[in-house]
Amino acid sequence: MTSRFALILAAAGLFAQTDDRTQALNRVAQVATVMVDGDVCRRIQTPRSEGLLTRVDPRDPWAAADNYDVNHAEFIQVKKTLIRLSHLCPEACDVNLWMPVAAAPDRVQIMIRNVYEMSQFWNWGALHQPMPAEMKKVLDTGQRVTVRRRPGMVSVLAPVYDSLGDIIGLVEVVSQAGRNPRENVK
Amino acid sequence: MKHLRFLMLGLATSMACAGADLRATPEYVRPNPFGGIVDSDRHGISGFIRGQVTLESARAAYVSCHLVAVVAEGGEYGLEVNPFPAATGIRLDLYREWFHFLPASNRYIPDALIPVRSPYASRLPEADNHIPGQTAQAFWLDIWVPASTQPGEYATSAVLKTGSRTMPLPIKLTVLSQVVPDTDAVAIDHNTYGTSWFDEQYPNLARRYGQDFSTSDAFYKLIHAYHRVFYEHRGVFHQLGYGHAGKVGPEFAPQLEGSGRSKHVSSWEAFDRHYGPLLDGSAFAQTRRGAKPIPFAYLPINPEWPASYLGWGEPGYEREFVNVVSEMERHFREKGWTSTRFELFFNHKKRYKGFEWDGDETRFAGDYAYFREYARLLKAAVPADTPVKFVFRADVSWTMEKQFKELAGIINFWTCGGGMFGWYDYAPRMLKERGDIVWIYGGTPAVTEPLSAMAVDVLRPWLWGIDGFVRWLTTSPGPDPWNKFEGGTETLVYPGEPFGVEAPLASVRLKVERNAVQDLTLLNDLARVRPLEKLKVDAAKAFNDTSVEDWRTPRPPLADGNPEDWSNTDVDEVIPKNRKFTTALQPAAWQHVREYMLELAREAK
Repeated sequence: MTSRFALILAAAGLFAQTDDRTQALNRVAQVATVMVDGDVCRRIQTPRSEGLLTRVDPRDPWAAADNYDVNHAEFIQVKKTLIRLSHLCPEACDVNLWMPVAAAPDRVQIMIRNVYEMSQFWNWGALHQPMPAEMKKVLDTGQRVTVRRRPGMVSVLAPVYDSLGDIIGLVEVVSQAGRNPRENVK
Repeated sequence: MKHLRFLMLGLATSMACAGADLRATPEYVRPNPFGGIVDSDRHGISGFIRGQVTLESARAAYVSCHLVAVVAEGGEYGLEVNPFPAATGIRLDLYREWFHFLPASNRYIPDALIPVRSPYASRLPEADNHIPGQTAQAFWLDIWVPASTQPGEYATSAVLKTGSRTMPLPIKLTVLSQVVPDTDAVAIDHNTYGTSWFDEQYPNLARRYGQDFSTSDAFYKLIHAYHRVFYEHRGVFHQLGYGHAGKVGPEFAPQLEGSGRSKHVSSWEAFDRHYGPLLDGSAFAQTRRGAKPIPFAYLPINPEWPASYLGWGEPGYEREFVNVVSEMERHFREKGWTSTRFELFFNHKKRYKGFEWDGDETRFAGDYAYFREYARLLKAAVPADTPVKFVFRADVSWTMEKQFKELAGIINFWTCGGGMFGWYDYAPRMLKERGDIVWIYGGTPAVTEPLSAMAVDVLRPWLWGIDGFVRWLTTSPGPDPWNKFEGGTETLVYPGEPFGVEAPLASVRLKVERNAVQDLTLLNDLARVRPLEKLKVDAAKAFNDTSVEDWRTPRPPLADGNPEDWSNTDVDEVIPKNRKFTTALQPAAWQHVREYMLELAREAK
């Protein structure tokens, strides 16, 4: 067997693995759309915190972060659902919840992160951030979107609905080949 | 401890004379690379020391100064510091001072210390520091006086050689009979987070080991080297091992298996490799302070470890927590790791979206219930008569006054925001009478501040009658500390790799902090000859002409309002800006405390 042929086979194997992983994440994302309760998600952040989230106070630039607060019961309920969903992944994965910022439609905030601290989108420490095009697509169309931005990482984004049938947010089901066990331990 | 007298023979000021010259400055006066003194250290300084350096030290102590080789025309030079007689036990450590370029001020300031051997030979400008027109190279001289040295007078010299010229600088050392106690008067803690920054700061080492770096001996040696550099400088080092959503670095925790009833420790291998030498003290065997277990260590416990948050509030969470923490207690006991305080400590904040409550700097009273619950779980996991020391630590700011009351008996290790803690004048005594450990926290003075600013955080906890101070981040020098330095407010050490050292390098600021801790420890010990309260009054007066009360902030009306309504700015505004602690702080401020302490030490038997 020539080395070139071996390389082609190895590459094919890698793609097959990636494809398998993507399919698995996609299945979890599909289930997440069914299982994550959008009405509860809407109630996670406290109204006071939500009101301060985008307010610009030159006298106190940290007001939004210092006053960031959530309702415990709703947060816990949704977080546990996300953890359960992550257990459906055949390998280590996180299921993160993202929600658009009501007062700034061009922005989005991660609402719940999980134990592997993986995300292809979160700018570490950001309370909220510009809405990525992929997320906007999910929120606008309800389609699942697969994203490969960072080396080795695959995310599947899927919509979260409330009882009215409105899309109120999305989940990011994410895993990483060659995951760094020390990254984000900070 | 130490005393550096100015013997002004032909005072030189800021500019190098033609030719070559060997000068010295006290530790709190940093030379610049052009034969002068850095801006922040000039205030009240009349010139360099020439003719003779005179030092005075207690035993079991360091005494330090800067040596400055000035070669006005540039070119080759050599510096030799002759040893003291071997029988004295006195040892010399020589470091070349790196001049960091600060683009913000277009200045060079020395901080990182590169160990060099005497005799040292080089040329100016130094090839690696790339300073156009450099005419002077500074060296930090540490003189270690062991407890076994006989009190008396000792002499040696430093010698600068350029071409055929030889310029000696005599060094006279007086050793006092007093011995600096081994236990520090205050704990100065140096904090960091995880180990992911090793790859950035030691890229060659990481590349050499590739995927195996984090499991290599070199990786663990590096962790221990960080502990060692702070220990050698009379400091404490903390390294938090988990993230805001509960991810635990593998070397910070035992490996776990199972879930619910069956959750248990499956391997101690990485944990023991990391902590074993720290907890039995063997990591410090080759140090001058000797082998001693670390006094404090963060546990990896967080809301997601050892129990999965999936079970929070359910019996399974308690079972997982108790199973594993019980195993930890047993393992620590069997290993004899009974002198270190193991800290149950929550660092997460809800703003980082991992959990629904603030473990760190708790702002909302609704979050207090979590602390009560974890205290209950810890009690369930650990036998009441265990010799292993578990403590429950909380880092508090906004609502500390309320937490002191509501979490009494739950939290027994308080790390308090230094500014706000000053409002509550009753708190130190109240907390200490309970038997709690009390630290305050804050940052690190930039290199642009006078070096005496390093001593403010050493002196303050002692004046307040509490146990220590935490610098919240001390290992992050920035992307290019060598040529584009941002000031060093998040570091006191530097990666040694560019200089062939696979360990952290100490800094001028760390040395100054060490010397202040050392001085204060002896001063505190001198309470046997003068009342402690009198020592405090005199030390504050000597340092910056203040009273002990000046170190506190009177309780502002804001403190009686609802902390949830406060902003950072509100808090900042009610803390008065006393010039004596900032712009009017003299570079020699600590030297005045030292002189006071030396005076007492000379008199004491």
